[in-house]
Amino acid sequence: MKWVAPKSGFDEVFDPRGQPRAHYATIISILESFTREDVERRERLQQLTLRNQGITFTVYGEKDGLERIFPFDFVPRIIPASEWKSLQDGLVQRITTLNLFLADLYQDQKCLKDGIVPAELILSRREYKRALLGLVPPRKIYTHVVGTDIIRNDKGEYLILEDNCRVPSGVSYVLENRNLLSRVFPEFLGAYPVRPIRDYPTLLLETLRFVAPRRGQNPVVVILSPGIHNSAYFEHSFLAREMGVPLVEGRDLLVEGNHLFMRRTHGKRQVDVIYRRIDDDFLDPLAFRRDSMLGVPGLLNVYRDGNVALANAPGAGVADDKSVYAYMPQLIKYYLGEDALLPQVPTYLGFKKDDFKYISEHLDQLVVKTTGDAGGYGMLMGPFAAAKERESYLAAMRRNPGNYIAQPLVELSTHPTHIGGKFEPRRVDLRPFILYGDRIRVLPGGLTRVALRAGSYVVNSSQGGGSKDTWVLAPRES
Amino acid sequence: MILSRVADELYWMGRYLERAENTTRLLLVTEELSTEVLGLDEELARCEWNDLRAIFPGFPDGEPPARHLTGLAAASLLGLSIDAENRHSVFYSLKKARDNARSVREALTLEVFINLNETYRELEGHNRRQLTDPAVFRSALQLTHRGILSTVGAIEHTLARDAGWLFLKLGESLERVFRTVVILRIKLPALVAAEPKIDLPLFYSQWRSLLRGLSSLENYRKAYGARLEPIDVLQFLLFDAQTTRSVRYGASTVKDYLDRISSASELSQPARIVGKLAAELSYQGHDLIRDGQILGFLDHVLAELARAHDALSTVYFGT
Repeated sequence: MKWVAPKSGFDEVFDPRGQPRAHYATIISILESFTREDVERRERLQQLTLRNQGITFTVYGEKDGLERIFPFDFVPRIIPASEWKSLQDGLVQRITTLNLFLADLYQDQKCLKDGIVPAELILSRREYKRALLGLVPPRKIYTHVVGTDIIRNDKGEYLILEDNCRVPSGVSYVLENRNLLSRVFPEFLGAYPVRPIRDYPTLLLETLRFVAPRRGQNPVVVILSPGIHNSAYFEHSFLAREMGVPLVEGRDLLVEGNHLFMRRTHGKRQVDVIYRRIDDDFLDPLAFRRDSMLGVPGLLNVYRDGNVALANAPGAGVADDKSVYAYMPQLIKYYLGEDALLPQVPTYLGFKKDDFKYISEHLDQLVVKTTGDAGGYGMLMGPFAAAKERESYLAAMRRNPGNYIAQPLVELSTHPTHIGGKFEPRRVDLRPFILYGDRIRVLPGGLTRVALRAGSYVVNSSQGGGSKDTWVLAPRES
Repeated sequence: MILSRVADELYWMGRYLERAENTTRLLLVTEELSTEVLGLDEELARCEWNDLRAIFPGFPDGEPPARHLTGLAAASLLGLSIDAENRHSVFYSLKKARDNARSVREALTLEVFINLNETYRELEGHNRRQLTDPAVFRSALQLTHRGILSTVGAIEHTLARDAGWLFLKLGESLERVFRTVVILRIKLPALVAAEPKIDLPLFYSQWRSLLRGLSSLENYRKAYGARLEPIDVLQFLLFDAQTTRSVRYGASTVKDYLDRISSASELSQPARIVGKLAAELSYQGHDLIRDGQILGFLDHVLAELARAHDALSTVYFGT
């Protein structure tokens, strides 16, 4: 089997001299023991399993919302225990801060009064919901499920790239990737002390039950999905199956007497907790977008009266806004009195005049993103864009500067990936999942997304990305 | 007790899966009979195809009838097998069943979904050109038929006998009895009228193919022996208490599921409709056939089944 050496940047597997890092030595020797035919046969089996089990996502904008298999690369990403420990500590610190920040924003707004974050920045965000001012969610938790995007720079340092506090997706692939790998390459897992991840659905259910308003009885938890045409529908259905809870759509729910019920064949039943996988704006046509067909009229009032819990809490999206991100180090200091444990990418805000000037003059060196979008949509990769493309992008930016941020291009780390019979370096990121219930738990693993196209920086599934199983190793017993 | 939407999806999944099975089987049987009689009686072969198109009326209105029999046969085969636009094609039914299954995967087992998904993907992989070769066509449809049956097997073996299962089986049984009645209603007038004129081997071929089309040939032979007497065939397909494809058996199966779905204290409206129908079928017999009232009776059964379906939607699905 041939291994292609990375040309630049930090490689997860090989050190700069081309030698495998210690924690990858075993997996490389296992892979070396396979012939090319062995690998191809296993890969075909892998494809067939993905196809037959319907492990797919939906691509928007194509006919009928085309179902696609989420490409899987079988070379696992391995994270040693010590590296994971510092990632985990950094994530707990960050999620703690995000919740304190949200509680503050919707109550006393001290951070705005103290000038930690400019008030006009927050108040101009579409994700900031004035209607929720003064409302305290059950157990004061705003972000029950967070998926944080992490990258590594050319020195191998882990950097926070993005917080996802609304409806982060991908955890189903984390679990399915592990299943798939253990089935198709059973030789791999036995050789390492890999921390298990299979109990995620149980932990998620516990997290959700923890916030149920009716204490002392068995709470009814449901997953609210926009339906079969949503890109993450597979995940909604997967989590419902794994947790053994109903998967509902807006039309299955109704509000009566300021309580929430689901319509069943023999009468209705009260619902206590909604793990909602639809955006704030679509939750309740009476409170937010009036044209929403996906939500439940009156839901927000039920929530306001404390008769139902919503995870994540409405209004939480303002905390993962890409311009709010720039203030996270200051917010961590402000609320916890600590320095941020995990560094992040320097960010220029279109919202600030000086920054905007800098962005417009250095567009060819920057990656520009719209603040409210996700999934790699609405992004400009300055260094790779044609001059014309940059010009028209800049013109759009001038119309609404506050809607944009820019960051220097970070040379993401690479990881050997099986492509056309060879192991070639491809760029990767990492999305760990964090649950906030009776305490904060970080799932030991995460979604490693990989840009399958040579030279590409974009790992999003909608833009030709795939994924890898991600192993967190258990600490060695001393 | 389950969500109304989930009950609705499972009911339709049962119906579409059963419909896909019926269409597949009828296509295979019709193709075979038409090949058998083609050289002997072209008009009969044409009737077979036209009957099939009446049983599964998914072809666009106003489509000019093919002038040549081969054209009619090919158009019917392709139209009812892989045409995505034809509402009665095997592909359409499988796609619908799979959509239903996808939207309520949490109510199913992995085995059920995988079997259905594989069967659908397999059929999707065929293109029109390949299927114009009769041998390829037959083997492709046989594979689909096996896939459907293994999905049904997975349903039997892996699903909990809960409310969801009851609605799925209700859809399946209602579709089955409905389709059996439609097939009889369309086939019988010609079969009965043709009796005196046609030569004997051909005549029996048609009755045999009717039984095969309803998966009942072997079962008929067990009950009546190899001799095909029209009156026995009718008695068997309509009123036999044991064969799973008879109208009587079908209606009483639907009734059983509806009784189990009804709350303990009171029978639901659909359960009453089908209950009466099942009772009627239990006490009817030869007289009806002898007196030539069979077609009118079949119309009555169809109307009652349609009424039961409407009542179901109102009572349980909130649609």
